[in-house]
Amino acid sequence: MTRTPFLRSFHWGSETTLRSLSFFYVGVLIILPIAAITIEALKGGLGPLWSNIITAQAIYAIKLTFITAFFMVIFNVITGIATAWVLVRYDFPLKNLMNALIDLPFAIPTVVTGIMLVALYGPRSILGGFLNKQGIEIVFDKPGIVLALMYVSFPFVVRAVQPVLQELDKDMEEAAKTLGARPLTIFRRIVLPTITTAILTGAALSFSRAIGEFGSIAIISGNIPYKTQVASVYIYGELESYNPQGALGLSVVLLICSFIILVLLNCLQVWSRKHEQVQ
Amino acid sequence: MKKMLIIGFTFLFVWISCKGRNTSGASSEVTITLGAYTVPKEAYEKDIIPAFQKQWLEKTGQSVRFVASYIASGAQSRAISSGFEADIAALSLEKDVERLREAGLITHDWKNKRFGGFVTRSVVVIAYRAGNPRNIRSWGDLAVEGVQVLYPNPKTSGGAMWDVAAIYGAALKMSEDEQGVQDKNFAYQLLKAIQRNVKVMDKSGRASVTTFENGTGDALVTYENEVLLRVKQGREMDYIIPEATILIENPVAVIDKNVDKHQNRRVVEAFVDFVLSPDSQKAFVSYGFRPVDSEVAAGIQAKYPTPRLQFDISYLGGWDSVQTEIFGADGIWTKILEELAHD
Amino acid sequence: MNRFNDRIKIEHKPHRLGKYILIITVAVWFFVMILTPIFGIVREAFGEGLDVFMATLTAQESIHSFVLTFWITAATVVINTIFGLILAITLVKQRFRGKLFMEGVVDLPFAVSPVVAGFMFILLFGPRGWIGSWFEAGGIKIVYAFPGMLLATLFVTLPFVAREIMPVLKEFGLQQEESAYVLGASAWQTFWKVTLPSVKWGLAYGITLTIARSIGEFGAVLVVSGSIINKTQTATLHIHQQFTDYNYIGAFSAAIILAMTSFIILTAMQRLYRRKGVD
Repeated sequence: MTRTPFLRSFHWGSETTLRSLSFFYVGVLIILPIAAITIEALKGGLGPLWSNIITAQAIYAIKLTFITAFFMVIFNVITGIATAWVLVRYDFPLKNLMNALIDLPFAIPTVVTGIMLVALYGPRSILGGFLNKQGIEIVFDKPGIVLALMYVSFPFVVRAVQPVLQELDKDMEEAAKTLGARPLTIFRRIVLPTITTAILTGAALSFSRAIGEFGSIAIISGNIPYKTQVASVYIYGELESYNPQGALGLSVVLLICSFIILVLLNCLQVWSRKHEQVQ
Repeated sequence: MKKMLIIGFTFLFVWISCKGRNTSGASSEVTITLGAYTVPKEAYEKDIIPAFQKQWLEKTGQSVRFVASYIASGAQSRAISSGFEADIAALSLEKDVERLREAGLITHDWKNKRFGGFVTRSVVVIAYRAGNPRNIRSWGDLAVEGVQVLYPNPKTSGGAMWDVAAIYGAALKMSEDEQGVQDKNFAYQLLKAIQRNVKVMDKSGRASVTTFENGTGDALVTYENEVLLRVKQGREMDYIIPEATILIENPVAVIDKNVDKHQNRRVVEAFVDFVLSPDSQKAFVSYGFRPVDSEVAAGIQAKYPTPRLQFDISYLGGWDSVQTEIFGADGIWTKILEELAHD
Repeated sequence: MNRFNDRIKIEHKPHRLGKYILIITVAVWFFVMILTPIFGIVREAFGEGLDVFMATLTAQESIHSFVLTFWITAATVVINTIFGLILAITLVKQRFRGKLFMEGVVDLPFAVSPVVAGFMFILLFGPRGWIGSWFEAGGIKIVYAFPGMLLATLFVTLPFVAREIMPVLKEFGLQQEESAYVLGASAWQTFWKVTLPSVKWGLAYGITLTIARSIGEFGAVLVVSGSIINKTQTATLHIHQQFTDYNYIGAFSAAIILAMTSFIILTAMQRLYRRKGVD
């Protein structure tokens, strides 16, 4: 794909209009609100804010959030690639139905997701009761958090990888096959590099979603501080108990972390696309 | 094309603004906006509001329209103080109403009204499974190892602060009753032991009841009126009123700033008087509450016995003290959570 | 050539087993993970028969909440589509300082906890907020009314359209547009006849996601609306109210309607998307 140079002499006027409108949009909807909560958080001064943020409870909540999000992303990337592969490359009965249903988690309100997962895997259910006897707790414990995150973010990786797989030219794979390469090698050397960008996009979206997810986690987790309380639930608790400084301060910290990760992923995407083109 | 866009945007903007505009009704209709907490919704919507609408129409020929919101007490308090134009606040804790006074929305001395500004009462109780397999008779039985206890998160459910305050205060009260002096260490250890047995802290009291009904937990710490409401709705619930427990008192107050803006003071104050009248008090009783009206209360003593060691929030120093000493950053409950983290 | 193909087919045989295992694994995973919760919801909603199901759905608060959700979603789609296009075009086709920063900012709404999102808009647009105080003086209510709910929904759905269009715009490059300019088309004509059709499918998918998310939005709208019955209760808030009132049938039936609506929209999208593959 060759890059054509920008011809900036064209429509200079509408360029600035577009840019101003974009700044207005992003400014009013994202930047100003975030600035407002940052200033509100800083109202008591930087010192008290910092001691509010680095409470042991807050730190634990952030750690739990990032760890569960991380595990979820790993799971969803694996299942996402597998699902996309199966949907694009193979034909089987009810395939079109399954393809349509992939987006289902997006359609269900998160509160309802939480309730259903508790009903399915909770202490009263068949599966949940069985696992409980083995000593494994899903619902109200950490695995439940990962489960809920997996559900609400499921479509991201699948939908990101699918179109890329579809566009993929099979010639190189066929050639490799005739040369005797095993399918796993073909996948690793030929397919994987091409879909890496898409995987990263899906991973980034899943990850940010997981950081902010609240409705389903509030229900499926026990929400016990220092044990099963994630950042969004902790923040909610602080907001409700009239500690807006602590809540907002932590939110801003979370935002900065997510922002850094997202920018990193964006850079990775740019890098991998350049890499792609070289090949 | 550009012109069309500009016209379109202007139209959209005007339409959205109109959606937000306050529309004033005709003089034959008046509106009361009620900001309440979740629990009394059935009592207000099914009983008290319709009764008042009927009575007011007969008395003045004016029809009253009610606009109501029933969300968690703390959230409602915050909503009202940040712009929700409720005429009346009916909340769970007096602290949440005090906040409105501090924000300048209530300018009269609301506690100097009949019944001290309160409208309903209840007590904290312990519900257990049918047959009482864990043999729960009192707070101490919740501290036994292996008993799973449920109560909501005091941080997200202002009403849930009643539960923790009940446990802590009960321990103080019981030690005082036995030894003549409050044993703070005993109270601390008891609360810690019970908190250790809590595996799920729901967002609200209602969510706790639902979790309990869905099979989690051996014991549920909740308010008597919640249990009685479920019984009224057809669910079996076994519970015990501990010997020492806290008296819950729920306030109601007129919000002067909004009432003056809406110019409906006459009907709003009439509604508050109505809510405190014996008929309404009896209606509240039918939904599981205890009345503030002592005459009505006298008539139901058998069904709503007063616990021998009942205390109220002033026994613990009032809400401000409880907020800091129990739930604050260096508070007792906060410390307990930290200690339990290292177990 | 046929003998060549035969050899390839023979090579495939041992991999056939792997293919079936993969399909079955993915299908089972999908069924257990994604579908069983749905069955649970349906079973709960119809637990007391069809007439109770219909009665709860046709109650006044229920109908009002669906209508409100409809209007908020419609307005969100219109505004976020127009501005999403503007934003995407600006970010892809223009070079300016802070572009990578802007791109990261666009993803931020995903990472913000919904409760915090609602809180942000209360801070900014409440009667004492920076922007809100102006509107308050003019007698226009934003928070605890329709405009505030719209703003919160715009925020949480902002990334969808922009995010879906941008990769497509990047892929297509500027060749077609520059040809159009050279041939004398105005900026506006170029946009309508060249740019817009090229991003048709990304745009459609972005709009679909916006609709689905906006229908299901809960946390932010709960905070910003005050959940005033028959006034500011969206369908999700109505479901929440039903749960709080112990009306589980009411809650699950409304949830089914919501899920079905989102699902139908998503499926319709899938159909159109597949037809694109035929082109």
